[in-house]
Amino acid sequence: METQLQRSKLRRTAQWADVRRRGMGMWAYTLNRVTGVGLVVYLYLHLVVLSMLAGGPDMWDPFVELARSPLFLALDVILIAGWLIHGLNGIRVTLTGLGFGTRYQKNLFVGLMLVAGIGTVVMGIMVFGS
Amino acid sequence: MTLEVALKVFRYKAGQPARYDTFRVRVPDTANVLDAVEAAWAQHDRSLTFRHACHHASCGSCAVRIDGREKLPCITSVRDVWNGHGELRIEPLRNFPIVSDLVVDVSGFFRKMSASQMIITRSAEAYLPVAASAAEGRPQDARSVTLPEGVARVNRFENCIECGICISACPTMATSDKFMGPAALAGIYRARLEAPNKAESARLLELADGEQGVWRCHSGWECTEACPQGVDPAGAIMLLRRDLVKHRIKRLFNVRRTRALVA
Amino acid sequence: MEDLSEQKPAPTTAWLWQALTGVGLIVLLALHMITQHFVAEGGIRDFAGVAEYLRNPIVVVLELLFLVTVTAHALLGVRSILFDLGLSARAETAVSRVLLVSGILTVAYGMWLTWTITQQI
Repeated sequence: METQLQRSKLRRTAQWADVRRRGMGMWAYTLNRVTGVGLVVYLYLHLVVLSMLAGGPDMWDPFVELARSPLFLALDVILIAGWLIHGLNGIRVTLTGLGFGTRYQKNLFVGLMLVAGIGTVVMGIMVFGS
Repeated sequence: MTLEVALKVFRYKAGQPARYDTFRVRVPDTANVLDAVEAAWAQHDRSLTFRHACHHASCGSCAVRIDGREKLPCITSVRDVWNGHGELRIEPLRNFPIVSDLVVDVSGFFRKMSASQMIITRSAEAYLPVAASAAEGRPQDARSVTLPEGVARVNRFENCIECGICISACPTMATSDKFMGPAALAGIYRARLEAPNKAESARLLELADGEQGVWRCHSGWECTEACPQGVDPAGAIMLLRRDLVKHRIKRLFNVRRTRALVA
Repeated sequence: MEDLSEQKPAPTTAWLWQALTGVGLIVLLALHMITQHFVAEGGIRDFAGVAEYLRNPIVVVLELLFLVTVTAHALLGVRSILFDLGLSARAETAVSRVLLVSGILTVAYGMWLTWTITQQI
């Protein structure tokens, strides 16, 4: 059977990122993974930035000024979108993953992403307003 | 009425690099994709290898990807998937080793299916399905219905035709050949519905709980999306998970109760 | 986080912990966002504000609980992605161990940082 053709491991593994001609469930899965990776990166970035607190007000307070700049606030809104998408979809994965509402998994995804969109706009306004 | 369709078919023979061949074939405009592939074989290249048998979606042999989407070509009409321009791409299923052209090695797949002992036809059952009582408007235990005069036994076909489409569509199957896969797990769920005794039901549940069982599923839902027979393997996997969680909770409480008794 | 130290690669418990920490985060992240950014003046506290905030022991407990939960959820997620690479059983055990250690170090860092801040006043 060594004459059989097998696609390379890397190519097969990367299939999760290929959403062409895929259903909504696959979009949800890929989106969750992408936002998840983004959030892990953010988590550690955030923890590293917080180390400036160890340097007292001289190190931290200048950063606070930067954190209030429009660019930073815009990045914050992207972050909010990220965890809203990931969190709301995560609720869907947990519920459907235990057999609840499986028939509506597509509708749930659409509905929850709409909520995520609205939530991002609302919190974006709150962020820039404060 | 006929139409001329251009098929772009994946080709692979042992010892040669993979490639795509284009075949132009003229078929009736009501033809299915399988008819077009057969025409390509008959008129252009007798070395084109593909599986086909029943031609009516009950054997599951012919499953391929048409323009990247898993389908049964025997029931997919050319006009439904081809708009008259360009080429119609025909490729083998994903996540199976390719033997030749459109034929894949399904031996591993059938080994996993046999783990749940789910088979396409369930034979020699002495009862009719519950539909017999539909006229009376109330659900009835299938085992209590007697067969009509002159009928000794019935064979029942399960929805799953073991075509492998769900395996091809599944993103987890892409990452691991060891994963049991949607078809085998749906088979376990189906087998448990009519398990002859508690021991067998428990054995099947344990099988689903293994390292390569239900928990490896990432909820892509592609299996259910692609299944041509409405088996809903993803739904089956989720319900198996629910049973497993219930099972664990029960076990947890039993452990607590035992400790309390001993203490 | 005991699932990360299991010898066999067994996604069984991992999925459940992933779901549980995820649900926990709905509450804890909401709390964190509200108290750290929507209640705080200007959306972010200066050093004096942070130190004042951390004087409340309930706050410290909740923020650390948040850190533990988010770290567990994040590293379980990373483990899930890495396990999709079709690794050998040994490699999977090694990955689990490395992630467990990373998680412990992350939480330890958080505790150290909290301590350092409160010591500065």
